[in-house]
Amino acid sequence: MKFSVLAFSLLATTVLTSQAHADKLDDIISSGTLRCAVVLDFPPMGSRDESNNPIGFDVDYCNDLAKALGVTAEIVETPFPERIPALMSGRVDVGVASTSDTLERAKTVGMTVPYFAFEMAVTANEKSGIKSFEDMKGKVVGATAGTYEAIALEKQVKAWGVGEFRPYQTQADVFLALSQGQLDATVSTSTVAQANVKTGKFPGIAVVGKAPFDIDYVALFTNREEYGLINYLNLFINQQVRTGRYAELYGKWVGGEVPSLSVNGVYR
Amino acid sequence: MLNYTFHWNQAFKALPQMLDGALVTLQIALLSMVIGLALALTLTAFRLSGNRILSGFATTWVEIARNTPALFQIYMAHFGLGNFGIHLSPYTALLVGIAFNNAGYLAENFRGALKAIPDTQARAGRSLGMTPVQAFRLIVLPQMLRIAFLPVTNQMVWAILMTSLGVTVGMNTDLAGITQELNARSFRTFEFFALAAVIYYIIAKLVTLAARLLAARMFRY
Repeated sequence: MKFSVLAFSLLATTVLTSQAHADKLDDIISSGTLRCAVVLDFPPMGSRDESNNPIGFDVDYCNDLAKALGVTAEIVETPFPERIPALMSGRVDVGVASTSDTLERAKTVGMTVPYFAFEMAVTANEKSGIKSFEDMKGKVVGATAGTYEAIALEKQVKAWGVGEFRPYQTQADVFLALSQGQLDATVSTSTVAQANVKTGKFPGIAVVGKAPFDIDYVALFTNREEYGLINYLNLFINQQVRTGRYAELYGKWVGGEVPSLSVNGVYR
Repeated sequence: MLNYTFHWNQAFKALPQMLDGALVTLQIALLSMVIGLALALTLTAFRLSGNRILSGFATTWVEIARNTPALFQIYMAHFGLGNFGIHLSPYTALLVGIAFNNAGYLAENFRGALKAIPDTQARAGRSLGMTPVQAFRLIVLPQMLRIAFLPVTNQMVWAILMTSLGVTVGMNTDLAGITQELNARSFRTFEFFALAAVIYYIIAKLVTLAARLLAARMFRY
């Protein structure tokens, strides 16, 4: 009798603890679906084609990740400000959403090593007469709320002490305002700037130069405590570069020289 | 299930900044109400004028203001007018959008209030020798404003909450704008949004309370 009670409690403990040890990586594999938060208002990283299907670098990247995990990918569209609520409320497993890996944000979510790197470019309305980053001083400038460049640009405007900064909710609104002349200039990632100027949807704007911000390294993210998954993601990013898939996707969506994802002189 | 650890101390550090934003919110709401009330009175006068063009104009305004989303109205004030080279700053666009919306709703409040006043009162005034304008100004108008007072308070609360739509046109100094920015910087979404919700709630409650006290003083017999 005593023995069976002991055996039962031992069994119960084993079952319960093994359940408690099932982490997010296990959950993804057993559910058979990987849900990625992707920003689909951010070409060429994420957008929609004519038949409304999600396309872009981040979409392909999520599909590759799902393939490596042996599950099917589900793209969940999240505007920039909604990436974190989507993760925290359990609607997505991983963010493949061009998320800059700032220390402030890493207090809230778990960041992987960089999987992509952006350079910042200044795009200006041709009537504004802005020819370089310094010319933006004292003008009305804007960027997409919640992005790395918006935070950096707002700080710069405050440092200049003149001019006005306006954050818009989507990248499309920024370029619309810029094209209408409501904004004189914007700072965005050079890939996004080139892609938007090329569409021809926004007449009267041109990329005028580089912005002297640090290179914007972006990471995949998931819940902070999911070390198992973060570990897997880091290796996945490493393999993407090693196998040449990163360069292939870069050529497909962006083109030009493939940016390095490592920082000289320091480990991570 | 929410897989999240709350760090309220991080949010409370930003409280002074958020309260500054709350002041901007209140300022826009108040201004939009003042402008909205003036416009609504004008629209009501247009409707009563018997002039078909004026009353048609007023009806169109009310129809658009009441039957399209406030978000659309604010967006149009910024990007819609921007298309025609009329550039309103985010602050002005937000103010114009909400004032437009307020005017439509308030005009309907006034119409309802007018309906509640029997025609016979104005006629009694006329038979005492008042001119039509005098009868309206001295008998109908005071009663109309009194009946419409609480619905107007309601619209004020609505105006406060509508200011949060300013973020869609690049507003970053009001409570919603500041909350969004704090969120973008730190990703502490739930703390900042919960705090913002509490602040909106308190402002709305204070406005309702103030209106009740005011009504108790103004409308005693």
